[in-house]
Amino acid sequence: MIRAFLFLTLSFALHTPSPEAAEHMQAGIAADKQHQFDVAITEFRKVTELDPSYADGFISLGQAYMEKHEFASAMAPLKRALELDQDSAPAHQLLGYDLLVQGYAAAAIPHLERAPDRDKTALGLAQIQTGLLPEAVANLQAALAARPNDPDILYYLGRASGLLSKQSIDTLLAAYPDSPRAHQAMGENYFVLRQMPQAEKEYRDALSLRPDIPEVHLELGEVYAGAFEWPKAEEEFRAQAKLQPGNAEAIYRLGSALLEQGKVHEARVELARADKLMPDMPETLYSLGKAASLEGDAAAAEKEWTKLLSIEKESLLAAQAHFGLAGLYRKQGKTAAAQREMQEFQRLQRGSNPTQPPAQEESQH
Amino acid sequence: MLNSLLRAVLVVTMALPGAPLAAPVFEVSAPLGLNFTLENSPTPQKHLIETMPGGVALLDYNNDGLLDIFFVNGGRLTTPLPTPDNFDRHDPKYWNRLFRQNKDGSFTDVTEQAGLANAGDGNYGMGVAVGDYDNDGYPDLYVTSYGKNILYHNNGDGTFTDVTAKAGVAAGGWSVSAGFFDYDNDGKLDLFVTRYMDWDTKHSKDCGGNYHTYCPPEEFPATTNILYHNNGDGTFTDVSQKSGIAAKKGRALGVGFADYDGDGFTDIFVSNDGMQQYLFHNNGNGTFTELGLEAGAALSEDGRRMSGMGVVFQDYDNDGRPDIMVTLLPREIYAVYHNDGGGSFSYRSLETGLGVLSSGSSGWSIGLEDFDNDGWKDIFVAQAHVLDNVESIDPSLHYRDVPLVAMNRNNRFERVDSGVTTPMAARGAAFGDLNNDGWEDVVMTCLGGHPQVLMNLGGKAGSKAHWLVITLRGTRSNRDGYGARVRVNGQTRFATSTVGYLSASDKRLHFGLGTAEKAKVEIMWPSGIHQTLNDVHTDQFLEVKEPEAGAPEEQNRKPSQ
Repeated sequence: MIRAFLFLTLSFALHTPSPEAAEHMQAGIAADKQHQFDVAITEFRKVTELDPSYADGFISLGQAYMEKHEFASAMAPLKRALELDQDSAPAHQLLGYDLLVQGYAAAAIPHLERAPDRDKTALGLAQIQTGLLPEAVANLQAALAARPNDPDILYYLGRASGLLSKQSIDTLLAAYPDSPRAHQAMGENYFVLRQMPQAEKEYRDALSLRPDIPEVHLELGEVYAGAFEWPKAEEEFRAQAKLQPGNAEAIYRLGSALLEQGKVHEARVELARADKLMPDMPETLYSLGKAASLEGDAAAAEKEWTKLLSIEKESLLAAQAHFGLAGLYRKQGKTAAAQREMQEFQRLQRGSNPTQPPAQEESQH
Repeated sequence: MLNSLLRAVLVVTMALPGAPLAAPVFEVSAPLGLNFTLENSPTPQKHLIETMPGGVALLDYNNDGLLDIFFVNGGRLTTPLPTPDNFDRHDPKYWNRLFRQNKDGSFTDVTEQAGLANAGDGNYGMGVAVGDYDNDGYPDLYVTSYGKNILYHNNGDGTFTDVTAKAGVAAGGWSVSAGFFDYDNDGKLDLFVTRYMDWDTKHSKDCGGNYHTYCPPEEFPATTNILYHNNGDGTFTDVSQKSGIAAKKGRALGVGFADYDGDGFTDIFVSNDGMQQYLFHNNGNGTFTELGLEAGAALSEDGRRMSGMGVVFQDYDNDGRPDIMVTLLPREIYAVYHNDGGGSFSYRSLETGLGVLSSGSSGWSIGLEDFDNDGWKDIFVAQAHVLDNVESIDPSLHYRDVPLVAMNRNNRFERVDSGVTTPMAARGAAFGDLNNDGWEDVVMTCLGGHPQVLMNLGGKAGSKAHWLVITLRGTRSNRDGYGARVRVNGQTRFATSTVGYLSASDKRLHFGLGTAEKAKVEIMWPSGIHQTLNDVHTDQFLEVKEPEAGAPEEQNRKPSQ
């Protein structure tokens, strides 16, 4: 972990060491490059003994200790370097890292703030640990912009955002415990914990206080859908769709709830509406194909599933579309096409779980 | 205005025979003398067999016109399990039980005098099949087990004899549902035995981490089913390999028989747990080809494998072709495969409404019977989860449940009040008219508990709907007429006693007839003989004998009661 932080560029201080100290300095740098940290430490220590006012010698000694994971030993030379040169960015950065690694996040922050601008990751991490969440999110976003898709930064950004979210909700619950939003937040909390009766109650409380509160109908519908109470789920999704006729997800969920109840024609209408609002969502296309197939509209089902397969080729939905097409073609007497689709379906099924073909069990031969 | 009034009057009038019954459909009965507890012996070790029994059969073993009841018991499981396997079946607590029905509706335990006590200490009981394999007019019993299965020959004097060794049908391994049918139309009932998986007590384990649950089927290897051919001399030959049945390994739990493609040969549907379902097409030459995927009866609508448990293979929409319904676990919704003709099925769980009725439930035995005698077959499902601690894993699910009873209204099923208010760990269920009032009753088994006898209240409620119950008497075909296609006023039943999960129903064929006072009966016997009876009075128990060559038709029918 610490190695990721160690990309120190030694500054060239105005101070020039004595020739003997410079020799040891070079020997230390050479040893450090070869990961001979004990040798490097010995050499850098000689530099600091020969030239006690040479800040870079202390910085190098501190860095060598850190590379050897002797973080406590690194602190004294780094602090001494800052006494010699209070504006040394490398010294601030290394001391900031060193303090952070040892859990002194608050102490690390002033030093990390004076580190070079190119990496805000450590600063963001220290801010997470000290509860400075908005600042952490901002710094981690800046770090991510510099290093897109870095898994460490993505992780910490997610964590900071989550904690910030929790902090906001905690504040909401403490300040306005009986507000609609507080009930919504509690409902979401119970939903995540799979405590559905409590989640339902909180959502209901939120709606009783503010019937038009956004998203709650959708979330309550999900509670009912999870419990297979499709008529109730339909009611909530419909309410959400009425409040937000442009909410594609609500309308997709409404279509799905209708489909689950066998209300095929109604489902098809809603799914088509969702597709229009947010075109080419694979889930919507699959359900549209399914609804069309159930209604006996083979041409439409074929069109939707084929479109889905032009977007997704290897997913579970793609496998399901191939299976649906196989059924369509079988009924139409298109045996070769049906077999082709079934083979694709089976190929994708095998791919999804190579150790256990789900569609077909092994034959004895 | 007048037109709309007239239409309203017509709708009401026409709906009368099929109008929804006043709830509830059944009355939970506790007949005197029916003292049975299904001992499954649940253990902390979660041996898989303990959550799987037990079967029930409705049969008239002594031909007195009253249905008797046979229950399969589990056995005792101890820690550690003894070697060799011993489930204490000599202990009366763990016996299978036969109850003879008396004329007053009470029952007498005749297990011991019938020779059915002690099913063998190495056998943990599962299911039961009923059929007259030797065509002597008395129904025989085949009991499946983890261990050895037992064929009991009905001696016709109130006793049975264990003829397993002579017949060669002990099977072995873990047998589950079984059924008699005549696959080669030679007039002798053959025997199909499903086997669940390659599991034994030495390799038992529990799953679920800290929750300690029964393991899913994928944890154990698949195995083969068994087909026994009846040689006609009291012996059977294992033709599993020769017939092609053993070419497919599976994790079978249920089996149903019907001729789905109308070629005159009975086909087999096998429900498999956690994988595709099998449809064995009878090629008519002693071999079978598994065509589930090709026929569209293997997976869900979305191509997902399913936890197939119970199965019924009958015609729900009165189009004359047998459809398939399979009970499953929650979130899978019970499967309805509609027979489209031409050897093809389409998945109709959503359109029939069964999807929305079953998505949160776990089903075991299932029956398609006309409970309100309106001419359309309704659904009964024995429901309960597999895992006895499922609530701690998923609070939205429940171990114990009430049965699903759903009436068929224009091929869409609507839940009605079953009359059962106490949730139970139901497993087996068999169907028949226990009190001979023309209304179908149900007997359901429950793990660790007493069976539920559900008496149909339709007759008591004063419904005027008519009915007809037919007993087939094969001559050239097998004596019970298993495999016959019987059509009455546009409804079709495929003669079989095999039903649901582990169970065997009354072999008599029940038809609800709504307002009809006369019926036209058409029978396609397995022998190929087509028999038609016109102007049959309804509200009677009718025995129909398969015509001998050249015999006048009217000689072949008589009231059976």
